[in-house]
Amino acid sequence: MKTTLSVLLILILGNIPAWAALGQSEASVTADQQHMKSEDRVQTFQAYKIHQLTTASGPTVREYVSPQGVVFGIAWQGRFTPDMNQLLGTYVANLQTATPAQTQIRRLRGVTVKTSDFVYSNFCRMRTCTGRAYVPGLVPSNVSVEVMR
Amino acid sequence: MTSKVPSRVKAAPLLLAELCLFALASCSSNSSTTTTTTPAVNNSVAVTAGFGPLGQAGGVPNGLFVNITVCQHGTQNCATIDNVLVDTGSIGLRLIPSAIGSVLSPISENGNALEECIQYGDTSYSWGPMALADVAIGGETASDVPVQLLGQTTFAVPSTCLTTPVLAGTPGTPPGNEDTLQTLGANGILGIGNGAVDGPWDCGSYCTSNIAGNPYYICPGGVCEEAEVSTGVQAENPVAAFTSSDRNGVMITLPSFGTTGAVSVSGTMSFGINTQSDNAIGSATVYSSDQCGFIPEVVYAGLPYQDTICSEEGESMGGFMDTGSNALYVSDASTLSTLGLPISDCASGTSGYGFYCVTGGGTTILSNITLVGNSGTSGLVSLNIEDATTLFNTFNGVLNDLGGDSGEGYATGTDSFDFGLPFFLGRTVFIGITGVTGETTGAFAITAPNGFVAF
Repeated sequence: MKTTLSVLLILILGNIPAWAALGQSEASVTADQQHMKSEDRVQTFQAYKIHQLTTASGPTVREYVSPQGVVFGIAWQGRFTPDMNQLLGTYVANLQTATPAQTQIRRLRGVTVKTSDFVYSNFCRMRTCTGRAYVPGLVPSNVSVEVMR
Repeated sequence: MTSKVPSRVKAAPLLLAELCLFALASCSSNSSTTTTTTPAVNNSVAVTAGFGPLGQAGGVPNGLFVNITVCQHGTQNCATIDNVLVDTGSIGLRLIPSAIGSVLSPISENGNALEECIQYGDTSYSWGPMALADVAIGGETASDVPVQLLGQTTFAVPSTCLTTPVLAGTPGTPPGNEDTLQTLGANGILGIGNGAVDGPWDCGSYCTSNIAGNPYYICPGGVCEEAEVSTGVQAENPVAAFTSSDRNGVMITLPSFGTTGAVSVSGTMSFGINTQSDNAIGSATVYSSDQCGFIPEVVYAGLPYQDTICSEEGESMGGFMDTGSNALYVSDASTLSTLGLPISDCASGTSGYGFYCVTGGGTTILSNITLVGNSGTSGLVSLNIEDATTLFNTFNGVLNDLGGDSGEGYATGTDSFDFGLPFFLGRTVFIGITGVTGETTGAFAITAPNGFVAF
């Protein structure tokens, strides 16, 4: 019984990184794709790769993958903000714990968080939301952060 | 697990009867024709810009507020509510419980209260039941409008509504919950956005057949789950539901004043466009909206800011006029300084953080900003931007030259022109509402299926 419980715990805990994307391996994109029940269209550039996840009605999510196979950034647009608890993975803690000095709030509309190891912005007006999140330290040196949009 | 809530049917004869109540003379004398004569309704109401009810200590500058009355349908059981935030960037009326008491009738489905949860872009949210209200603003009335009562529910916020974590330190109980005067800074939000492709409801046809991202919930057995609902029970722009012909839009007029602002200013909001003698659109330039409610293109200094969000191809929103934005959030500091303007993002830790600073503390002008409407109509505006730290040191509640960065990025593909409340000062701005535009009689012949802005 005790063994079953610990196996179960590992399975549950194991789910958290497996569902993450930002900062995780390219393979984690598949988990996002399954969670969103979306189509995955891959575009390959010289210095990075884009997985574009689209659904018939939900937001479009673009995940930016380095040549080392790590998701270094995410951008989204659509009727609502996609599930950040999933897409940000462990970086969700960076968002939650950002200090006022790192956080610019546009009342009811949007927020920008800028720290040395995590950047996040989101904005919604009426039924349109947009934003992006990235890890500066994981962005390939020959890639501008402005490709993430 | 999904649930369907049937449409709330509005009987046409009842609507006609209500119209007649407000225009008895025209109904009795014109009973042989189907033409509706414009009722002589008082279509104007006072608005106040400033910090709002929390004052300088707890408020945010550049809010726009109005008084409204809500009544239980068909009764004199009413509540008059002051300090309701006027927001041209959202749809529907939302009220905090302390302002409203228990006068309104909840909307239910098979005995389950219909609840709504909206996550805002700043990670806060509103959660509470839907109710029906007769809404009066000035002399205008709307019957049986679905509104949201913020808080006033015993059910916990569903996890599917908290898919973005609330930032640490956000006020509210629990944090992020915008259901008190202290957290919201207003007794409610009057969302009168132009509506765009989905009409004058806050979700439109999307919520009739989708669960993902659907803000509507029912909680049978205490378990809250998303519910597909008809537009008839969705939060609706009360203006679009007015019984008079003044339901095709609003006209907001606010005075101009000195560069460092004012403690507060008074203006007017009038309802209807070209429906009465006091709301003629005249020679104002009409910029029609695209399907997402934006002016699809803004060009400044040769750089285009095009709405790429609507097609989900980029982060820019083009341009929009938004009384719910408290500054001119335009372009970005890097682009503007590259153009030679003395603008920077105010440093973290200073009072102006989150807004534009101007080197030397003065005012700088962004001139010849071109707006291009969806129908191709174009026109020019200019904006003054003053140093935010200097402005905040005045402790004024209305700051007409307050600016800020429109996005975290610094490319025109990620930036926009958010013409917030300062844009409305010293102007008359018309907001034409989706779906009802063009239905009025007379000379009003603007074709803008997604609504428009004109000034």
